[in-house]
Amino acid sequence: MTKTENTVIIKGLTKNFDVRFKEAGLAGSIKSLIKPKNIVKRALKGISFTVSRGELIGFIGPNGAGKTTTLKILSGLLYPTNGFVQVLGFNPWEKKPEFLKNISLVMGQKNQLWWDLPAIESLKLNRAIYEISQKDFTERLNKLTDLLDVGNLLSTQVRKLSLGQRMRLEFVTALIHEPEILFLDEPTIGLDVIAQQKVRDFIYEYNLKNRATILLTSHNMNDLLDLTKRVIVIDSGEILYDGYLSELVRSFAKEKIIKVYLAKESDIKKFETIGKIIKLDLPYVSLSVPRESAAVAASEILQSFAVADLTIEEEPIEGVIRRVFKGEMVKQS
Amino acid sequence: MSKYSQVFKISLQDEFVYRLNFVLWRLRNVFSIFLVFFLWDSIFSVQDRVIFGYDRVKILTYIFALMFVKAIVFASKTMDVTGEIARGDLSNSLLKPLDYFKYWLTRDVASKTLNLSFALVETTLLFLILKPPFFLQNNLISILLFIVSLLIAVALYFLILFIVSSSAFWVPEMGWAIHFIITIVILEFLSGSLFPLDVLPKPIFSILSFTPFYYLIFFPIEVYLGKISGGEAVRGILISFVWVVILYLLMRSIWQKGLKVYQAYGR
Ligand SMILES: Nc1ncnc2c1ncn2[C@@H]1O[C@H](COP(=O)(O)OP(=O)(O)O)[C@@H](O)[C@H]1O
Ligand SMILES: [Mg+2]
Repeated sequence: MTKTENTVIIKGLTKNFDVRFKEAGLAGSIKSLIKPKNIVKRALKGISFTVSRGELIGFIGPNGAGKTTTLKILSGLLYPTNGFVQVLGFNPWEKKPEFLKNISLVMGQKNQLWWDLPAIESLKLNRAIYEISQKDFTERLNKLTDLLDVGNLLSTQVRKLSLGQRMRLEFVTALIHEPEILFLDEPTIGLDVIAQQKVRDFIYEYNLKNRATILLTSHNMNDLLDLTKRVIVIDSGEILYDGYLSELVRSFAKEKIIKVYLAKESDIKKFETIGKIIKLDLPYVSLSVPRESAAVAASEILQSFAVADLTIEEEPIEGVIRRVFKGEMVKQS
Repeated sequence: MSKYSQVFKISLQDEFVYRLNFVLWRLRNVFSIFLVFFLWDSIFSVQDRVIFGYDRVKILTYIFALMFVKAIVFASKTMDVTGEIARGDLSNSLLKPLDYFKYWLTRDVASKTLNLSFALVETTLLFLILKPPFFLQNNLISILLFIVSLLIAVALYFLILFIVSSSAFWVPEMGWAIHFIITIVILEFLSGSLFPLDVLPKPIFSILSFTPFYYLIFFPIEVYLGKISGGEAVRGILISFVWVVILYLLMRSIWQKGLKVYQAYGR
């Protein structure tokens, strides 16, 4: 296995959902059963990307972009409408045991733990299903429960746990077979700040120690900033960006921020003609200007005002990501 | 197969969580037996009355055998498959190196084991209370044929439930309605669990004997009672076995199609 081995390959992947239109009530159901009226929902419109072993990728976009759909196809749950999908050399749809033994899909709002039993029972079941030796099982269990700080919760009935505790135990259960690929769908959703941090630290460790490939979707800014180097931005079933998180700003920010400290009081009206004032706290002024005219704007400021200090900065990355979440990104030419 | 023995274990544990529920469910069973027993007992209270070829002893024997066979054949968790598909919980199993069919078969066997052990106790108790006339089969061949027919009945019921449940792939919101109609209405009526099927008009009875329903309850009981034996019993076992094969193939092909439209609900 080479260093740059591709663990995930997707080419021209499309997924259409047939959405059955139906009127409310039982009568409506029967009517739609006899004379179905379908509309096609195009969730993925031909996306392509590859992921190398050991990468930790942030898969981001607004709600309904197609992130979960992609992860479900990659883990073999959904049947793709068209395109090529390969994960660890397998076609996920075939659900070969050797494939399933090496993946895990964790969804923040779905659980596999047996609700009425203590988590250790679900873990024992997974030990049998994944054919893990007793020695490996004990070792991994100790390691995972340590990392996630849940060792004392194993024998508590799952329904009695808090969401944060349950979610961390979900992680233990989903990783007891030490998968090479991890699909994480909103893993920190609904967790308190401390639990979020524990889960984050854990994902970081797991990626590093196991050289595991991880695809992560999240609406949590810190998840992305702390964990991911590369991000894939998706919206309406299309990929808008695939590259370093740090370069995302350069590709997407339409504006730059000019920060000025004035040397003496002057008529600040003029600023309004140069750009959009973000903050006014004299002698400090910051304004945003279109990025292509940033240099012109700066020289205009220098000419019109007595300036003590002036800097031109990129829009903060949080702002760009926030706009990604809102679906305000447009496809680059 | 330690995979499935672990599934068996956790299924039993899960059933025991709601002990009260379980006890209530068993109580309901006992009551329904009482009800049916007294109903038929009063119908046959007139001396030497014979209806549809059944006298008091025969019908009460049928009812006691019924209780036992029902506990084995109809005690099943497999209707939960509908909910698993509709809610998207099926995903949990699909993500694992686990055969979903075997998984539920195991859960079913666990459920039956539990119910059967209780049914044994109940039957004995009711037997002592009601002191019904009961026919103990002592012909080894009849007992053997009975066991085979019982196993086939279990397989048939399991397959029917699995097929019915897969409707949830296409109409998830209708799953329970379809289930209710098929399992409660059709199966209860056509299997012989409400009345012995041979009280029906002859033509209907003959047609029924070619459907799988006939082999769920009525056939095993009649084999036990020795009313169906020899070549007739073997013929029945063959027909029902053919049904097992047909339903199995049907189930496989429906599931293959179903999984392709499976929506894996859940974010
Ligand atoms: N089972 C389904 N049936 C119909 N439409 C669906 C189904 N699942 C998802 N969709 C639609 O496909 C699009 C992508 O959904 P999803 O992948 O869940 O988005 P994301 O995870 O990025 O929020 C959405 O418009 C959603 O409404
Ligand atoms: Mg999603």
